[in-house]
Amino acid sequence: MENMATRTQTAQRPNGSAQGKICQFKLVLLGESAVGKSSLVLRFVKGQFHEYQESTIGAAFLTQTVCLDDTTVKFEIWDTAGQERYHSLAPMYYRGAQAAIVVYDITNQDTFGRAKTWVKELQRQASPNIVIALAGNKQDLANKRMVEFEEAQNYADENTLLFMETSAKTAMNVNDIFLAIAKKLPRNEQASGASASGQGRRLAEGDTGARAAGSCCK
Amino acid sequence: MAVATFSQIDEYGFERPTTFDYKTYEDFMSKYLRILARRSKRWEELKESEKTRRTNILKRFVRKGIPITRRPIVWMSISGGQQAREQSNYTYLQLKERISNASINETIEIDLPRTFPDNIYFTKENILPRQLFNILSTFAHQNNDVGYCQGLNYIAGLLILATKSEEYSFWLLKVLVENILPKYYIKSMSGLLTDLAVLDELVEINEPILHRHIKAIGMPWAVTTTKWFICIYSEVLPIETVLRIWDCIFYEGSKIIFRVALTLIKMHKAEILECKDLADIVTCFKSMAHNPKVIDCHYFMSRIFKLPGRLSNKQLEELRNKHALAK
Repeated sequence: MENMATRTQTAQRPNGSAQGKICQFKLVLLGESAVGKSSLVLRFVKGQFHEYQESTIGAAFLTQTVCLDDTTVKFEIWDTAGQERYHSLAPMYYRGAQAAIVVYDITNQDTFGRAKTWVKELQRQASPNIVIALAGNKQDLANKRMVEFEEAQNYADENTLLFMETSAKTAMNVNDIFLAIAKKLPRNEQASGASASGQGRRLAEGDTGARAAGSCCK
Repeated sequence: MAVATFSQIDEYGFERPTTFDYKTYEDFMSKYLRILARRSKRWEELKESEKTRRTNILKRFVRKGIPITRRPIVWMSISGGQQAREQSNYTYLQLKERISNASINETIEIDLPRTFPDNIYFTKENILPRQLFNILSTFAHQNNDVGYCQGLNYIAGLLILATKSEEYSFWLLKVLVENILPKYYIKSMSGLLTDLAVLDELVEINEPILHRHIKAIGMPWAVTTTKWFICIYSEVLPIETVLRIWDCIFYEGSKIIFRVALTLIKMHKAEILECKDLADIVTCFKSMAHNPKVIDCHYFMSRIFKLPGRLSNKQLEELRNKHALAK
């Protein structure tokens, strides 16, 4: 699979699109411990990868902005802790979220089972219009694969999930999965929910570092 | 005048981030080194028995900071770790021999390289990660209600760095998890959820305007303070500040966690009130660690006993009972 956005380009501020619409979406990452949730976010937001990413306690919050046609899409990303006992804290992160990425590790069948549990929970408990993407991460370790691509694709199709295999390490499909989500999200004012207060507001630069790769503001 | 230069690696083996504020740190250290020397001398002047026995003198000394070389012994003695060690039916070595559960061990193994990947003692050598594994797995095997909870890796890791003793670290971890922080790490994390509710009420009592503002933005305390409580500020605040907090926690117990939380929140009241949304507020809470007043651990520790006002163990117990029942 060809990767369109291997390298994050350095900051290109979306000033050009300032007149366009700004949508703000809350996105949550869920999945078993050590499948690469934080690494996917770090790759997407900062274009970095650490072989040993610190385990997330509670949750981490980051933002990243991508441009899609005439719209600036700002993701507010909640990266959650994976260990089962932190589960009771998870609803406060997916409550009101417009999108979720449920992550598993393609080299570990158990994590795929856990991903399915998360999907079920989201379908039951999260907002009915939530866009759910399934990410089979660690694609760079495909020689140790335990979850077949077709198996996950079929599951995703049955549940109308977006699905990609990703690699936070090589950056494969990382920007793509966020972009695919952005494309599926409704980009009118009402639907962007939390964005009401964010409309027209200058985008916070804070954590975001480099702007999203490739796709932005052509 | 010569300007002191600080290594890119601190004395506990942590690599300083590229964004490290050397100027602020230098300003602080130039004062703090003198304080450390004075405190060290005062500790030497204590009678041998006064150095470990729980008295008001020792409590005051602990609040002003335990000298780095005395920490292992003093922590063991004031926390009840030494007592637990002496009264246990099994030695640490005997408990360690019981490590057998493959599933627990695998979970811990995954977290070893993810614990302090910015610390040279954990990344360049094999000894500390092995010790960390032994402590976490031995602990998990002797406490089924807790087992292994993510976050304990940071606490045990910092205990090893501070005490340089695998055995002391085990007993200190045991008293922290089993006596000092009740039910934080068990599978339901009920103690943590209770304490988050207690914090909410304490902020409401202490800072009603701030509380209303945070509520209006819709920030659940768990979002910003889970890591504060679970890691007891390790991986949150600067290491010197964390160790000074731990000095007091080992002596005075978990109410110190609330004193620190309330101090951080009160110190940053103006900044919090300026926050307009959740993103602002999360960023604001994260940036507290870089405040020179927080980096200056000696100043910060003097504030935690003044800013939040009165907070007794009795009051804390009542609040905990109330919120534990409320669930």
